[in-house]
Amino acid sequence: MQEKLKNIIHHLKTKKVDYGDARYVFTTHQSINVKDQTVEAITSNDNMGVGIRVIVDGCWGFAATSSLADDDLIKTANLAMKIAKASALTKRENVRLAEVEPFVDKYETKVKVDPFSVPLDEKLNLLLEINKVLRANKAIKIAQASLDFYRTNKMFCSTEGALIEQQIVESGGGYEATALGAGEAQRRSYPNSHRGDYACAGYEFIRGMNLLQNAERVADEAAALIKAKDCPAMDTAVIINGSQMALQVHESCGHPTELDRVLGTEISLAGGSFMTLEKYGKLKYGSPLVTIVADSTIAGGLGSFGYDDEGVKACRADIIREGMHTGYQTSRETAPLINQHSNGCMRADGWHSIPLIRMTNINLEPGNWEFNDLIADTKSGLLLDMNKTWSIDDRRLNFQFGTEVAWEIKNGKLGQMYKNPVYTGITPEFWNSCDAICNKSHWHIWGIPSCGKGEPMQTAHVAHGTSPARFNNVSVGVSK
Amino acid sequence: MLTTLRAVLGKSDAEQTEAVFLGGKSGLTRYANSFIHQNVAQSNTSVFFRSAVDGKVGTSSTNSLKKEDLIRAMKTSLENAKRQPANRDFKGFPNPARYKIVETYFEPTDKYTPKQRAEVIKKICKEADKFKLTVAGAFSTSTSEVAVVNTNGVAAYQPVTTAGINLIAMSDTSSGFASGLSRRVVKIPFASITETAIKKCLDSQNPDVLEPGKYDVILEPEAIAEVMNWMTYIGFGAKPYLDGTSFMTKKIGKKAMSPDITIYDDANDTAGLAMPFDFEGVPKKKVFLIKKGLVGGPVYDSLYAVKAKTKSSGHALPPGSGEGPMAGNIFIAPGKKSSQALISAVKDGILVTRFHYINGLLNTTKTLMTGMTRDGTFRIKNGKIMGAVKNLRFTESITGAFSRIGGISRETNLVPNWWDTLGCCSSPTIWIKKFNFSGKTDF
Repeated sequence: MQEKLKNIIHHLKTKKVDYGDARYVFTTHQSINVKDQTVEAITSNDNMGVGIRVIVDGCWGFAATSSLADDDLIKTANLAMKIAKASALTKRENVRLAEVEPFVDKYETKVKVDPFSVPLDEKLNLLLEINKVLRANKAIKIAQASLDFYRTNKMFCSTEGALIEQQIVESGGGYEATALGAGEAQRRSYPNSHRGDYACAGYEFIRGMNLLQNAERVADEAAALIKAKDCPAMDTAVIINGSQMALQVHESCGHPTELDRVLGTEISLAGGSFMTLEKYGKLKYGSPLVTIVADSTIAGGLGSFGYDDEGVKACRADIIREGMHTGYQTSRETAPLINQHSNGCMRADGWHSIPLIRMTNINLEPGNWEFNDLIADTKSGLLLDMNKTWSIDDRRLNFQFGTEVAWEIKNGKLGQMYKNPVYTGITPEFWNSCDAICNKSHWHIWGIPSCGKGEPMQTAHVAHGTSPARFNNVSVGVSK
Repeated sequence: MLTTLRAVLGKSDAEQTEAVFLGGKSGLTRYANSFIHQNVAQSNTSVFFRSAVDGKVGTSSTNSLKKEDLIRAMKTSLENAKRQPANRDFKGFPNPARYKIVETYFEPTDKYTPKQRAEVIKKICKEADKFKLTVAGAFSTSTSEVAVVNTNGVAAYQPVTTAGINLIAMSDTSSGFASGLSRRVVKIPFASITETAIKKCLDSQNPDVLEPGKYDVILEPEAIAEVMNWMTYIGFGAKPYLDGTSFMTKKIGKKAMSPDITIYDDANDTAGLAMPFDFEGVPKKKVFLIKKGLVGGPVYDSLYAVKAKTKSSGHALPPGSGEGPMAGNIFIAPGKKSSQALISAVKDGILVTRFHYINGLLNTTKTLMTGMTRDGTFRIKNGKIMGAVKNLRFTESITGAFSRIGGISRETNLVPNWWDTLGCCSSPTIWIKKFNFSGKTDF
């Protein structure tokens, strides 16, 4: 394949493009879904092709093909150039790229147990056993469990001399139990909602999640929710558990600090950002306890890799430092606009897609609190756990999240369970109300395999390291 | 393609085997700040195999068309089938049935070039410049082929073309949205779409703050279509219906909405994005989801039809999707008044161009959803638009809201759904009384 990519690059050079890169991607995906003791789907998918990106006449063009025939690859390169020339019809100024060292390197996810070597029977039996435990609780009417495994081989070659090979292996899974009653459905999930938790790791990640050991508790909690009271409406302190904090970071910090969004290039679909350039370095985003970084180097993070899809080496970059807005997620095209080099956030969801600025591992740095001490320190409030719903405006200011469950906190102790909790706020007001974050022992990187962005829509695999945190005067229960 | 797939299926060791081909080419040009910043094309093919043995079904896919890769993928699907317990609801893949002949391929769309797309965008940018506005959006054209073959004799093939554009015009304090969608690119009225987006942007400058509360609301087709996307996901399919999480569950024939509301799925109607069969090769049937306010019933694929002891309505998704059958071509029956007449009848209300980031999982049995307005939210006083308001969050039961209908427009607009080239929502403008806005934002 290397020779094919080098031929493409040679062809682009003979055509004197301003810049060009070719990216081969081969992804194998295995997915297993079990519902109520029935196997809904066992699927194995192979997908491969080449995407070619060029700058001609100062404008971008991109074309991709699933055919690896030499003629088709050259035709695709020519199409990319033709497209770039069409783009030039509306050109305002030439695209300028930040400099990057043209790396020649290889990278592999460190894996202890290749998930594709684990027998299908073992995976299936695990899911069937989980479902059996969930359905043993008579109140549980729907039990669903799933596992997903990805192996992605990439090769990146550019007119600047880069030649990078990567193998990324990802594993993930989880389950949910749904109880029906009183005219509504109530759900509890483990280890996270929306298909569980994911990591750049092998099958050891699945074995380490204690999936089966938690099934009975999860079923009991879903059943209890049916009989629980509705979460009361009030302004109160909330302690948000780690997995919900991951989505809070994702929606209210991850997306608004993507520099392409800030510059308006995602406005038509996903919207813009309130964290505009004039606020860069000046916005008091959160309280001094809040530090958020983009770090694609962390072992195991679902947003970890060796190089992004522009050949920029993985790195760690500040986004929020002690409450102040100090950085953006950038690309080679956008970074020069803030006088920086790219911090390596450009990724495509396959050979067929153009790289966009995508979250890597956007992590809320841990604080100093023990979780039990934090509960004990809270006179009145709610503990909110695990995402159920999410919605935020197109500049990422007004958000509303629903969680699967809330527990009352009264005089430093956990009390009754509430159902249907929702909380809402305005992003900077919310983060400025943060007065406690739990320590490293409660910190976990939550993998989210379903982040949508772009047209045509792309789905990125991203992650967020978080621990439980407390926020004050939060408006809760506003769906009534 | 049918011949190739049949030849591969001839090598199958399974009791029954199915192959689904999805292939084609697409081009999409994105623009923002009044210039093209992304411009892409792709050609791709995918072949999905399902193999069945002893009541077990396994799935696999490949995007290679090499015969050896196709046979390997097919064998993998059989291996996936053998490893699992039998599914008592699986009674075999569908048998052949005649589907309607529907014209869905149009050469001018197929042959449309990146340069032609760029020229359309150049005109849009030029028009916006006249008003000192910037524009952003995307313009796509695509050609797809769908083929379904199984060892029971099903052999279905359909080529489709699709063209769609969305456009936001922006000033420092406002934005306005408009869109167009058709299988025929020559039918998209680019000039009037541009005019609408620019007018909305100009009219919504310097918005006022409006406190949340219950207001009469005029929801334009884009807003309705976004709601219908969620209704499709949480309510209109047999999976949530049989799970007991749909508003339809145990409510067939009972009142769910106003008698003025009729919602149906009809993939044979060329006013939408027609597609005459589903991904099992089953002919698409017209399904009344809501008929004069009463619950009609959900859509089915072959598996869920067995569960419900009925017949497939032709709404299977591609193999392995796990979501169950989906309604993809939604039509909301139009009313008799003009959109302007609806606005004129509202004494104190809000006009919503479009919703953003709706979430419909708050309480699916009650169709409780939340979301934000965007790109043109206007105050209506005594039947007239009286300027713009800053964006608002709604939290509302959709069946509840659709029970409080003030009027429905005779004009409709076609809006793409989440499945893009294979689905859409044809919607009128709808006046809903006492719609619940639960929050506000700063712009």
